Amino acid sequence: MVPASAAPSPAVAQNASPATTPSSSPLRPASTADVREIVGDAIAQKKPLRIVGRGTWLDAGRPVEAARQVSLDGLTGIVDYTPGDLTLTARAGTTLAEIARATADHGQWLALAPWGGDAGSLGATAATATAGPMSGALGTPRDIVIGIEAVAGSGELVRGGGRVVKNVAGFDLTRLMVGAWGTLGILTEVSVRLRGLPEQEASLALRLPNAPAAVAELVTRLRSAPIAPLGIEMLSARLAARLGIGQQPVVIARLAGNADAVTAQRAALGAFGDLLDVPDDVWTDLRTAEPAEATVVRFSSTVARFHEVWVAVDRLATAGDGYAHASVLRSSARVVLPHNAGALPDGALELLRGASRDTRIFERLPAALWPGLAPSRATDRLSAGVRTAFDPHRLLNPGILGETHA
Amino acid sequence: MTHSADLADRLTEVVGTRGVLRRAGELVVYRSDGLPGYSKQPRLAVFPRTRDELVAVVRLLADQSVPFVPRGAGTGLSGGALADDVVLVGLNRLTRILSIDPVERLAVVEPGVVNVALTRAATPYGLHYAPDPSSQAACTIGGNVAENAGGPHCLKYGVTLNHVRAITAILPDGEIVRLGNAEGEVEGYDLLGTFIGSEGCFGIALDVTVKLSPNPQAIRTLLADFTSVDAAARATSEIIASGIVPAALEMMDGATIRAVEASIYAAGYPVDAEAILLIELDGLEAGLEADVARIEAMCSAAGARTVRVARDDAERARLWQGRKKAFGAMGRVSSHLVVQDAVIPRTRLPDVLAVIREIAERQRITVCNVFHAGDGNLHPNIGYDANDPDEQARVHAAMREIMATCVAAGGTITGEHGIGLDKLDYMSLIFSEDSLAAMCRLREVFDPARRANPGKVVPVHSCREWHGAPRAAWTA
Repeated sequence: MVPASAAPSPAVAQNASPATTPSSSPLRPASTADVREIVGDAIAQKKPLRIVGRGTWLDAGRPVEAARQVSLDGLTGIVDYTPGDLTLTARAGTTLAEIARATADHGQWLALAPWGGDAGSLGATAATATAGPMSGALGTPRDIVIGIEAVAGSGELVRGGGRVVKNVAGFDLTRLMVGAWGTLGILTEVSVRLRGLPEQEASLALRLPNAPAAVAELVTRLRSAPIAPLGIEMLSARLAARLGIGQQPVVIARLAGNADAVTAQRAALGAFGDLLDVPDDVWTDLRTAEPAEATVVRFSSTVARFHEVWVAVDRLATAGDGYAHASVLRSSARVVLPHNAGALPDGALELLRGASRDTRIFERLPAALWPGLAPSRATDRLSAGVRTAFDPHRLLNPGILGETHA
Repeated sequence: MTHSADLADRLTEVVGTRGVLRRAGELVVYRSDGLPGYSKQPRLAVFPRTRDELVAVVRLLADQSVPFVPRGAGTGLSGGALADDVVLVGLNRLTRILSIDPVERLAVVEPGVVNVALTRAATPYGLHYAPDPSSQAACTIGGNVAENAGGPHCLKYGVTLNHVRAITAILPDGEIVRLGNAEGEVEGYDLLGTFIGSEGCFGIALDVTVKLSPNPQAIRTLLADFTSVDAAARATSEIIASGIVPAALEMMDGATIRAVEASIYAAGYPVDAEAILLIELDGLEAGLEADVARIEAMCSAAGARTVRVARDDAERARLWQGRKKAFGAMGRVSSHLVVQDAVIPRTRLPDVLAVIREIAERQRITVCNVFHAGDGNLHPNIGYDANDPDEQARVHAAMREIMATCVAAGGTITGEHGIGLDKLDYMSLIFSEDSLAAMCRLREVFDPARRANPGKVVPVHSCREWHGAPRAAWTA
């Protein structure tokens, strides 16, 4: 699958790297040994590789120019799962859905729940460090992944961490590979910690005010309320409507615990206003709401500025005909703008350009928009050194982090 | 080439006469850290008092191509802070808490701030710093960062890595870098996560921005006593498998219990028990009693004689003091104590503990177990007399067997103490030559001259392009 973008606007076309155009069908390794062979060949032929996981979100990250695609959809299967240990190891191409099925049988779950749903792979979730609406309470891939196996761009098979929940042996190759977007090595196996499924759950919505000061006050109170939610997400009016929760902006909270705990938390939330019970599926719907082609930008913020960021993001969503949502626990907001043949409305582009560079992370953009909106970061010495230490020939997903355009 | 007397003079210009130790007699105290059995004398020790002095010291050492070892409180248990004829940079005078922000729930501290001092400073805001190593009354945040330190409450709340948002570090060559972002996320490689746990080989933290956690609304501390280690281990596996995540789940065996009870840290543990579990549940008041009841039932089903819940804060504090001071209490039992550290999958606790017992009997050594059972993080502690070469040899043999047993069970060789000097030989038990070589190259990204904490963490022979030890830069 190739990211459908095409028709870049003339202003940026010259600087834009073409999206991956594989010369032939993707390589589909079925084992770690196959991956080693593929990387070995790439080294010998000096031909870069585009690693695509299961190919569910190819417009994530900057466009990559590579001779061949490597799809990991054949490198699947749970390698080790002992429910009593609450840990699991699976090959990188294993879908989150498969892991969810296996763990649910034992009353457990992998709490990654990343944006995009469970069709994606464990390896891609780790490689891109994609989090989701539970990450404020339950951790990001950085917290949940406990070990990796990868074929480095040097051709070496490296392992970091292991299958135990606590481990400080050696320098932390796991942390380095998580979120490296495949540029250091192709993940072949990932170990994660699991959690017990809550005895009970309740998902509730309450109205989110429009005035910034009122948003700030609500967020402050929610943060100190006697609740221990798995997630609290603010939704713009358009997203609320899309998820079937009325026509107004809302806050949804996912309460969990034993029966007493859920009852008490519900009562505590009741102090904030009228509560609306929403189906627990709302969290899956939220994760999978994004259109196949969309521009997605994440804004992270301090607690103090969070309400301002929310207001700005909401305005941006409106201008771009999209929607916004934000995590109260992480002080982080996302805006999702559908686009038409790679173009965004002028008003939205203007707002995106104006946003502070420090706090925004582009998750998905049409290929043509990357150079204009997210010019490459100056490559710092440490990051460049790390890349060279693992992928000396720059063969793995070159350019996806913006590192080769510097 | 540097003469150490010249270097000492130049360091004195930076930090003053009282900030440099150069005579052998003065340096004796820095020959060891929390790990017995090693004695390494630093060439010099330097103690900067301010960030500017620290920067100047590191740059001077870089300028002179001098290797160095950063040291916090020296409570580490892997020999990581030992300086073998190189310069020791003591960070324990950089003790300022630079800011506490109760809204963002963040604190910025200098590396020498003592772990518990940070929690004490956060207490007025209803906050605390979650990682709580047993040495928290002495160990420093900088040392915690270097070792990625854990502690009993890391079972629920995570280790140091999960609580650090940003670090300003000085690299061994004197460059100052910002890792992570206190105000939000950063794109690109997780250099912050890579720096944490790098055991002083990647540089020195000038300041650390840590998360502060709200104090839980309610806490229950349970003491369950068992007539066998096996029963306590089975109870632990049951509790973990149930999905309830206790704030802490600690085990102490009979030998440890009796050592504690005979000491000034006596906590009221039953001295005729062969094992106790100290289990803490925290969170919302609502629902906590139901979880307590489930845990009690699981302990009883596994064979607990009694399960008692601490009645008040004083009793809870006493129960915890016995646990945290257990290592000190063992001083009564033998002259030297090796606090070992390994992690195993939690379902393997009963059988691995049985094998450890068997190894101890065969090697005729005394092993006391006091450890983070909920994490599967074992601390088989061996009391011995370091002046008895025969006993020392048996201790080493037993240690190697214990490590091999843990690795064979699917575990690892250290959960929170680090590799340091002590566990270099075990690295090849869990990492291939390729992985070790990759770690060597990673170190060289941060420290191309390999001057920071030389000879630690990764065995020298794994570094394929190693050209002699850096201490060759010295002349007497």
